[in-house]
Amino acid sequence: MSALLQLVGVRKGFGDRVLFDVERLSIEEGRSYVLTGPNGAGKTTLLRMLAGLEPAQAGHFLFRDSRADFLPRYPEALRRTIVYVHQHPYLFHTSLRHNMEYGLKCRGIPAQERRRRAEEAIAWAGLGARRATPPASLSGGEKQRAALARVRALSPELILLDEPTSNLDKEARARTLALLAQLRDEQRTVIVACHDQEVISLPGVARLHMEDGRMEQEA
Amino acid sequence: MNLLEPTRRAFELLLEGDPRLLEAIWLSFWTSVVAIALIAPPSVALGFLLAKRRFPGQRPVVVLVQALLSFPTVVIGLLIYLLLSRRGPLGELELLFTPSAIIFGYMMIAFPILVVFTISAVQGADPRVYETARCLGAGRARASFTTLWEVRFGIGAAVVNGFGRVVSEVGCAIMVGGNIEGLTRNIPTAIALETSKGDFSQGIALGMVLMVVALGVNVALAALQGKGGLR
Repeated sequence: MSALLQLVGVRKGFGDRVLFDVERLSIEEGRSYVLTGPNGAGKTTLLRMLAGLEPAQAGHFLFRDSRADFLPRYPEALRRTIVYVHQHPYLFHTSLRHNMEYGLKCRGIPAQERRRRAEEAIAWAGLGARRATPPASLSGGEKQRAALARVRALSPELILLDEPTSNLDKEARARTLALLAQLRDEQRTVIVACHDQEVISLPGVARLHMEDGRMEQEA
Repeated sequence: MNLLEPTRRAFELLLEGDPRLLEAIWLSFWTSVVAIALIAPPSVALGFLLAKRRFPGQRPVVVLVQALLSFPTVVIGLLIYLLLSRRGPLGELELLFTPSAIIFGYMMIAFPILVVFTISAVQGADPRVYETARCLGAGRARASFTTLWEVRFGIGAAVVNGFGRVVSEVGCAIMVGGNIEGLTRNIPTAIALETSKGDFSQGIALGMVLMVVALGVNVALAALQGKGGLR
C-alpha cells in the first residue's frame, strides 16, 4: 500500500509547552488506524490540524506526495478530501436527509444523485425509521451513526473520527463499532482517536500512540 | 375619566373600518415592512462579521452600535431632518415629510437592534456548526450562511424586535414625516395627535391594533421556534 499522508516535522504546543513533535509519520491508503494516548496528549488537536481547523507551530504534510501546509495556508481543496467528525458530532437543525446531502451539495452533486446517496446513507446508518425525526431529537448513538454515514456518503480519501464511541451506551457502542468495522472492510482510510479498548482491538487496525510529545506506530 | 365610552367607540371605529384609521394603520405597516426588508440584510451581514471575524477597530464598532441602541429616536429624527431638509446635504431629493423619510428613519432605528441581536445570536451558536460545515466541504460563504440558518430563530427574533420597535415609533416619525393626514400619519403619530385633541377613541382603537400586532408577531415567532425542534 502507498502512503496517503505523511507528516513531516510537525510540532504543536501551547506557550512553552510542547504538545507533540512528530518527525515523520506515514498513513497508508486504505488502512484504518486508531490513535491512542492519555488525555491531553494531542490526539484531537492532531486530527483538527489535519482537517484544517487548527494551525501547527512547525512542519507540513504530504498528501499523495503533494506538499500541504497547515492553517493558515491549509489548501481549500483538501476540505473535500479529508473529513473530520467531532467527538460529539453536530447535525444541522434541518432534516436527516438534508444533513446527508449537505456535503454532496458542496461538491456540486446533482439533486437526484444527492437524494439517492442520502437515502443510502440513512439506510447504512440504520436510521430509516428515524428519517422524519428532527436531528436534534436523535440519541447520542444515532447522531454518531448519522455523522458517520454523512461522511461516508462523501467518499473522502481520509476520514478522521474523534472518540466516536465515547459517552454511548452498550448497544449504541456496538452499532457504532459495527459501522467502524465496515469502514475498515471497505478499505477506507480512517484515523480514529479513542480510548475505547474494543475499537483499539478491532482486527486489522493499526495503532498510533501519542505520549509525552512523541508518536509511535505499532503494527 | 370614563374610559368605557371611548373604548366602545374605538371598537366601533375598528369594525366600521374608519378610513382615517385604516390609512394610518396601512402606512405604519408598509413603511415598517419596507424599512426592515431594506435594512435587515446589511445589518445581519454586519452582525455576523462582528461576531465571527477579528479585525482592528472591531471592538469600538461594536461599542458604537450598542450605543446607538440607546440613542433617543427623536435625535435620530433630528439628524435625518437636518440631512433631508431643504438646506441639508440631501435636500435636493425632497424626501422630507414623505413616507420615504419615515422609512429612512425606521431603517436607522432598526439598524442597531438588528446588528446587536445578530451578534448575540451568532455568538450563541454552537462553534461546531461552522466547523462541521467547513469539514463537509463548504466554503467560507456557505459555512457562514449555514451558521446563520442554524440561528435563524435568533435572527427572526431580531427582525421581530426591529419591526416591533419601528411600528410603534413616534419621535422620529413626527420629525421627518410631519404627521400629515393621508400621507405620513401613522399609528403612533395619530395616537399622539388624537390624544392631544382629546379624541381618546381613535387613540384607543389604534393602540389596540398596535398591541394585537405585537402579540401576533411574538406568537408567530414562538410557534416557529417550537417547530424548529431546537435544544
